[in-house]
Amino acid sequence: MVMASRARLIAIVALCVMTASMHAAFASTRIVVVATTSDVASLASAVGGDVIEVKTIVPPGTDPEAFEPRVSDLSTLSDADLIVRVGLGYDLWIDKLIIQLHRPEFQAGGGRLVDASIGVPLLEARGRTPVTEDGHAHGLGNPHYWLDPANAETVTATIAERIIRLMPAARDTIVANRNRFLATLHERIVAWMQRLAPYRGASLVAYHNSWPYFARRFHLNLVGFIETKEGVAPSVAHLSSLIAEMGQNGVRAILQEAYEPKNFSEMLSARTGAPLVVLAPTVGSVPEARDYLSLMDFNVGALARTLATGSH
Amino acid sequence: MLVLSHARLRRAATDPAAAMSHDIIMLLAAPFAASALFVAIHTNFGLHVLRRGIVFADLALAQMSALGATVAYAAGHAPTSAAGIAYTFLFAAIGAALLTASRVMPKEVQPEAYIGIIYVVATATTIVVVDRSPQGAEHVKQILVGSILAVSASDLPKFAVLYAFIGAIHWLARRPLLAVSEAVHSKTRRSLLWDFVFYSSFSVVVTSSVATAGVLLVFCFLIIPAIIGSLFTRRITYALGIGWLGGVAASAVGLAASFEFELPTGAAMALAFTLMLVIGAVLRGLIFAPAGGRRICIRIFLRAASAMIFMTVLLSAIWLMIMPRADQPMFDLLQSATGIGPATFLAVQDRAVYADALKDAGYRRSQESQLTALEQQSRWQGGGLSDTEVRRIGSFQQTFNEMARGDDFVVKSLSGRARERERWYVGLPLLITSLLGLLTLLPDKWRADPARSRTACLTFLRAFLHVADFVRRLGGEKTESAGDAMIRRSINGGTVSAGPKALTGRCQKTTYGCPDP
Ligand SMILES: [Zn+2]
Repeated sequence: MVMASRARLIAIVALCVMTASMHAAFASTRIVVVATTSDVASLASAVGGDVIEVKTIVPPGTDPEAFEPRVSDLSTLSDADLIVRVGLGYDLWIDKLIIQLHRPEFQAGGGRLVDASIGVPLLEARGRTPVTEDGHAHGLGNPHYWLDPANAETVTATIAERIIRLMPAARDTIVANRNRFLATLHERIVAWMQRLAPYRGASLVAYHNSWPYFARRFHLNLVGFIETKEGVAPSVAHLSSLIAEMGQNGVRAILQEAYEPKNFSEMLSARTGAPLVVLAPTVGSVPEARDYLSLMDFNVGALARTLATGSH
Repeated sequence: MLVLSHARLRRAATDPAAAMSHDIIMLLAAPFAASALFVAIHTNFGLHVLRRGIVFADLALAQMSALGATVAYAAGHAPTSAAGIAYTFLFAAIGAALLTASRVMPKEVQPEAYIGIIYVVATATTIVVVDRSPQGAEHVKQILVGSILAVSASDLPKFAVLYAFIGAIHWLARRPLLAVSEAVHSKTRRSLLWDFVFYSSFSVVVTSSVATAGVLLVFCFLIIPAIIGSLFTRRITYALGIGWLGGVAASAVGLAASFEFELPTGAAMALAFTLMLVIGAVLRGLIFAPAGGRRICIRIFLRAASAMIFMTVLLSAIWLMIMPRADQPMFDLLQSATGIGPATFLAVQDRAVYADALKDAGYRRSQESQLTALEQQSRWQGGGLSDTEVRRIGSFQQTFNEMARGDDFVVKSLSGRARERERWYVGLPLLITSLLGLLTLLPDKWRADPARSRTACLTFLRAFLHVADFVRRLGGEKTESAGDAMIRRSINGGTVSAGPKALTGRCQKTTYGCPDP
């Protein structure tokens, strides 16, 4: 009896020592994942958990499509074990930074650069060059795919696979992390879809074409966009035809991102009576969007509230 | 342009489908009224600014108020809150004080250089502050790149009250203000107070207008009507009236043109202001010329204008003959104006390929947009598309776009070939006509001496042939043959003929229609 309890004690102590040393080993070999935007960063930390350390290049609240890297970003990148990019031309600037790193393993096909868009069903596919004629990175297709929560499943799978390849020992932890994340995600997707179900087919106008994936998931109808070209004010003809279209379709809200100019949206809102709703296109662009799940929480909540007050 | 736009409005009004004309008038009324207000107050400041010789002061002041808004944002105040506005005006006032100090600068410091330094320092500081608070970047952009189209009717009373107030101050203090502006180059100490009054009212006006109309347009509002007014009179009240009329007319033309030709409004208005300035200058030449000299003036003007036109035609013709495949802006313009496309100048077999490629590109694009519309509808109608179906649509969209791009390439190369033929059919006659035209414009004493003009002509032709030969040897030949090879490849089993057939086999299995007609 005593012997047995003693053996048990020894076993427990040994186990403790082992886990502690394993933990220490993990802590010392935590891999550094550098993500281009806060969205893929949030998804990476959801699967990586304690096993990885995540750094983000684009500061929250800035427009990643208009981002210009700085020297300090190069030093962030030089610590990286793995780089996660959004892809589809959304973060083309990372290519230039990687070339300056002079480390072939980070170049495409080198095994340490993850394109998070792989496997995601692409909407509004265009061609084979990322930048379109008007200089905007929607040339391959629409790059705002993380705004469909179902795509998070694919993205986390891609990231998890790459981390496991670098750290085979952490396989179980990462798989468990991802399963936990997916369980919450699936639960929330059901809730989000229920929340927006009464507004199925609601017509919306957006400032920039960031929301097709969101619209597909939640059955919304995007009828037009205020911006026709990045950085150029919309023309009179475009605005007047947009107003006419908004009247015909009974547009119920104008989607606006925090970092986009509000003057045109406000004017259209005043003219058509459709309320303006500020949504978060990326994690951190509003204080409520702390991580991926709260980003979607915020967007669904804000849109549902606006559509509820303005329902005819 | 106004007439055109009215015609378009009428067309839209008779169209039962859209009540667009009403929308357009509503859309343009507020910006037009705002422009009229801006021109009124800015012409006044412009006249002072011209007298002082500091035309870029408004940029420095606008940048200072942008800095104020950025600092406010970094300190945690919303730009429209009381604290935000207070910061903006505080920094604008600092800018005004700095500009006032330009008078006590040693005379080695040019006023424009001093203003430039204020501008640079304010811009650099703004960039640094923005870097600390990235969310502020958008606000700076909004302050410096306003758009007059976004003005709504509810903004107008605010501007009217503010500008009436500042206008009243300027009217009451018109004598000392004018005196201080005119005496700017004599350094008297007592005028510093009025200088500060001037610059601080200027900073308030510029802060309000730049946020609405943008830097580009505010500069036009400020300088061009004032110059137009000064062209005709020294009296400041008359100059104000003339400048205001010119500015309002330019605003109307600019807004109408931006609608008619789908131009960005700010840029269209800036160009309209410049046009008005040119018209003003010509009118002044006609009005102020001595009675007998007026006809001579008109003659000189017409002669200069036609010489310019002939020179443009001559240079374009030469450019076409030397480098037919390069950009040919004048012939592009001619083509779109007459509707005579490149097909007219192609050989018969090329013409068919050209028409085919043009038709095919349009067809591919329409197929692609059909798929896009289908996918968009499916987002909210019916049961929705599965991921596999979305992927399949995506790969078809990509294929159609790439095929259209291939057709575009054929169209472009054939247009280049058409230009190569066009240079003999069109370029040569134009060259000769413009040369003859220029000859008739030669001064009389030249024309009196035929031998001299003949030598001039021969020298010119010889020089032209040399240049043409040189350019040809530089690489004209090489690019031509490469282009031809590309076309040949695309016709014989390349993009054009093989494209659709290559797809036929696969496409019959899909539900989205076959890409073949
Ligand atoms: Zn985008």
